[in-house]
Amino acid sequence: MKISNRRSSTGGRRAPAAVALGAVLALTATACGDDGSGAGGDKGAEGSGKGKIVFWDNNGGVRTDIWKEVIADFEKANPDIDVEYVGIAATEYQSKVDTAIQGGGLPDVGGVGAAMLAGFAAQQALDPLDDRLEKSSLNGKLNKDMVESLRAAGGGDDKLYSIPTSANNGVLYYRTDLFEKAGLQEPTTWERFYEAAEKLTNKSKNEFGYTIRGGAGSIAQALDAMYGQSGITTFWDSSGKKTTVNDPKNVEALEKYAGLFKKVTPAADLNNDFTKMVAQWDSGTIGMLNHNLGSYQDHVNAFGTEKFRGIPQPTGPGGKRVQVSNPVDGLGLFKSSKNKEAAWKFIEYATSHEANSKFNESAGQVPANTDAAKDAWISKAEPTKLAAEALSDGSTTIVQLPYYLPDWNTISKAENEPNFQKVLNGDMSAKDFLDTLAEQLNEAQAEWDEQMG
Amino acid sequence: MITKEAAPATPAPAPAAAEPPRPVRKKHRAWDEAPRWQIYLPLGIYLLFTLIPFYWILLFALRPAGSTSLVPWPMTFEHFEKVWTDRSFGTFFYNSVLVGVATLIMTTLVALAGGYALARFDFRIKRGFMLALLCSQFVPGALLLVPLFEIFAELQMINSLGSVIIAETVFQLPLSMILISNFIKNVPYSLEEAAWVDGCNRFRAFRVVVLPLLRPGLIAVGSFAFVHSWNHFLFALMFLNNQEKQTIPVGLNTLMSADSVDLGALAAGGIIAAVPVVVVFAFIQKWLITGFSAGAVKG
Repeated sequence: MKISNRRSSTGGRRAPAAVALGAVLALTATACGDDGSGAGGDKGAEGSGKGKIVFWDNNGGVRTDIWKEVIADFEKANPDIDVEYVGIAATEYQSKVDTAIQGGGLPDVGGVGAAMLAGFAAQQALDPLDDRLEKSSLNGKLNKDMVESLRAAGGGDDKLYSIPTSANNGVLYYRTDLFEKAGLQEPTTWERFYEAAEKLTNKSKNEFGYTIRGGAGSIAQALDAMYGQSGITTFWDSSGKKTTVNDPKNVEALEKYAGLFKKVTPAADLNNDFTKMVAQWDSGTIGMLNHNLGSYQDHVNAFGTEKFRGIPQPTGPGGKRVQVSNPVDGLGLFKSSKNKEAAWKFIEYATSHEANSKFNESAGQVPANTDAAKDAWISKAEPTKLAAEALSDGSTTIVQLPYYLPDWNTISKAENEPNFQKVLNGDMSAKDFLDTLAEQLNEAQAEWDEQMG
Repeated sequence: MITKEAAPATPAPAPAAAEPPRPVRKKHRAWDEAPRWQIYLPLGIYLLFTLIPFYWILLFALRPAGSTSLVPWPMTFEHFEKVWTDRSFGTFFYNSVLVGVATLIMTTLVALAGGYALARFDFRIKRGFMLALLCSQFVPGALLLVPLFEIFAELQMINSLGSVIIAETVFQLPLSMILISNFIKNVPYSLEEAAWVDGCNRFRAFRVVVLPLLRPGLIAVGSFAFVHSWNHFLFALMFLNNQEKQTIPVGLNTLMSADSVDLGALAAGGIIAAVPVVVVFAFIQKWLITGFSAGAVKG
């Protein structure tokens, strides 16, 4: 038996039609968003300096409240401008901006730190800010090193694409109560650090001297420990074409550092990203932790301020402290903005003395505004104070990591984190690991040199 | 386009000649003789292995910040209050429910219509269409992000829940359609024919006769669509900017900053995100298993 499917009646058509119409109406009702304009190639416009601007926060969530406070103050001072805040998690920020660069929907202002700057600048998504800064009241009020760090990270055309808001810094957190109990001295040198790590370890009681970062983000931390011990102060040799990462002194330092794994650290550290590492330190019996200023408040919540301290990295040979650069954070003006004048006003306000001080006090970071860096709260937050001192008193040499290389993120994460795990497990030598890393970096630098002409 | 021919009715087998009733023999099962501990010990270990992570989330969510106690005592709901009010999880929850329910309804309706066509009609490109449906499952959502973003931008639907609902529905449809078509194939065609003979049109026959028999399948497909869209992160992250429009997975992600994480808030947010899924599965698991196993049968 064959039956044509044309057989139907009015009633048969009515219901599907109603369903389809309902679905269309429902979707139309929900479709009331913006037009998503503003892709990477748009030139944008200065605008009237009034109206609405959109700001994407590159570390949304934890800092949402303080940004909203800064925005409220700005809107009070500039009643003609509305700022729409969009908080985006740090881990997803780059993919969100990259999608918007390709497909449209970029904001007017966005958080643009040194680590992401080269990529965004290479896609010509950002407006250079040198001229605006020169004419601004901010000129001369921003930390010169931070400005230069962002200028260098911008991709080699010597333009400034992001105005610095704050700097982070590596911190060695240690448990003062455990040190006191064991009669140990403060770990201000690498010798004391290794001694304390060993003496504080008692595996049978689940007590460890140190927690190492073996998972996501492990490379920057390993480089920090390596250069700190070797005392080498530059990332490239004098020719500027060969990296120093596989210098024999660095190889020796990394061998020693990686040797801590399982000897004085939990075995689970192999997969530690910062979340696990910090959580482990905050809830266990571990003597020391290397992280940055960002987790200070988590430790205060866990221990109060009495049981731990956060100090700058230990000093190496000859009492010199060498550490690798932490990405400076900042605010960029997207080229596609149709209201650049208002967007710049917001950037200017957010990096002004009052707003920058308020933001960094809440975030626990070193302010970029030099007046804000002198405010009283700095001396109350010990790790921030020590970090600010270390960054400005000449006691520390910073090895600038090559954030300007478009391949830096890939090389320092996806391509080499698994290899570092092999080093920790003893399946790869520190020398082989660093030679591989050096080869990739030298190649990336050569490509970059070629592109820059 | 023609419908499939109905299979000829199979004559019922003739009743066997009367035989004396055989004594009912209980089937021999190996576990009937096994000591209880051999059954319950592995199950208990497996249960512990499964439940410990959940206990850990509960522990972090219910104990005060800074506590290292292994039991959530003294108990506090401060983390729940914090994420629900300060971190806008109330709004995220509402948006997720809206997206989940709308995706469920749209996926089920369209999959029903498409699945019926695949099950009951023969048409020229049917095999190719089925192949295309299967192949579409191999395309990751991330690959289509930029084109989808451009389409929704053209339609002025960026920052609208509608964009997420449409994208989720589109990605759910291929599998749902294949499943539903298999369910429909399992419903004898003669039932529909009988309804037509009784005066029903095709739609009414479908609604009155076929639809009630599809309940396990509809529950399976609907719940799958709901849970998937509830958990899905990428489209909501990319298509929604306004904080007031964001969904639970995106909200959860913002509880982890670049260098700091509030584990209590994260655990509380995780529980808020997990509860609806657990409740949905608790109510529908019976139909879900029936549904998926029936849908898996080739028609």
